[in-house]
Amino acid sequence: MKSDIELNINGTAKKIFVEQSKRLLDVLREDFLLTGTKEGCSIGECGACTVVLDGEAVNSCLILIGQCGGSEIITIEGLEKDGKLHELQKQFIDKGAIQCGFCTPGMAMSAYALLLKNNNPGIEEIKEAIEGNLCRCTGYKPIIDAVHSAVKELNDS
Amino acid sequence: MIIKNPSSVEEVLQILSNHITKNKIIAGGTDIIPGFHINSPRFTGFDVLVDINGIKEISQIIELDSYFSIGSSVTFSHLQASSLVREKLPVLYEAASGIGNKQIRNRATIAGNFINNAPCADSVPALLVYDAQVVVKSIENESIVSLQDFLEFPYKTILKNDEIITEIRIPKKNAHLIGSFYKLGRRRAVAISRISLAVLGSVENGIFTDFRLASGAITPIGMRFKEIESFILGKGIDRDLLKEVAVKTGSKILEITGLRWSTPHKLPVLQKTLYQLLVNNFLENDEK
Repeated sequence: MKSDIELNINGTAKKIFVEQSKRLLDVLREDFLLTGTKEGCSIGECGACTVVLDGEAVNSCLILIGQCGGSEIITIEGLEKDGKLHELQKQFIDKGAIQCGFCTPGMAMSAYALLLKNNNPGIEEIKEAIEGNLCRCTGYKPIIDAVHSAVKELNDS
Repeated sequence: MIIKNPSSVEEVLQILSNHITKNKIIAGGTDIIPGFHINSPRFTGFDVLVDINGIKEISQIIELDSYFSIGSSVTFSHLQASSLVREKLPVLYEAASGIGNKQIRNRATIAGNFINNAPCADSVPALLVYDAQVVVKSIENESIVSLQDFLEFPYKTILKNDEIITEIRIPKKNAHLIGSFYKLGRRRAVAISRISLAVLGSVENGIFTDFRLASGAITPIGMRFKEIESFILGKGIDRDLLKEVAVKTGSKILEITGLRWSTPHKLPVLQKTLYQLLVNNFLENDEK
């Protein structure tokens, strides 16, 4: 059944008339054209669809839009502010933490969710935060380095 | 399909008492939603999905006089972050911390883990060694059953269509016991358990005064090993006894499951792992 759902996406209040059982992932990509969020496995194993929902990293392929009324959602498109990339994004570029790029938005959102809770995470905490994000190019080392450098930059500035 | 978002258990029970529609409770959705996606026969034909995420009365961890109450929609991240769980229920803490990955633990709930009664549910062996009880409510009734009795057959529990689990109770007398949880999967994160075990007990003056052992993924449903538990009680602890327990447990599991293609791998792994778990938990440091 279709119904009106009100939610906040990347800091802006939105209202949408949509099939309640549509996945959050599909609503973001098809209805809001936020295609930075990727679909990988569709069963919660790869993390490519990770977004931040009410402050927590979640797989948007495992949530129905009918469960999201009143929620605040941040997607990869929400990290950039006034045309300036977030420190995490800058460090992903600087450290070459991108190969094919498909896992990158999910990786960045898992790291962003970690930083919301812990402004000075260590390597082990970074690894735990991205344990649910698979990179099939297997470039995990530069990804961990990028998050670690972003932590340092954010704390120094 | 309609999704309803009730704000109290009372409201959930009203919805569930309507037998004309086919209703299904959804919490974390980490099992149900992929089920929809692959058209699993276990998850088709629902008219109403009852989303219980917003209900405060079933999403808290509380310490009461004689038991700890864990709301049925408490997530694994919540369990992991709770100092009460970490300090008083370490075996449950270990099991909760290893489930899925961060994203899954942020959504998946404790009751959702065992409601489908999949043998690989990691919370089950941990809850079984703590003698967990399940509180089940319908519009007319409330009953409290042991988790073991709740888990009826593989992929089936005693829960009826018009009932909801509201909480899991763990008797506080179990809080002083020591133990741990072990899981073997194909990788560390996002791995379905191939073997899961939980041990809990206490040793006083070198003698076992309490002992519980439960399995998950290696038996058709999670279960306690009562014969082995009573065998060990009152016995003096040494390496030979622990070896005997590991061997006996292996034989018991073989008796339950019969020979399988995985037996040549799983049986020795199980026995050695269990032996090591017992040594680590119960032998004094100088005897290790």
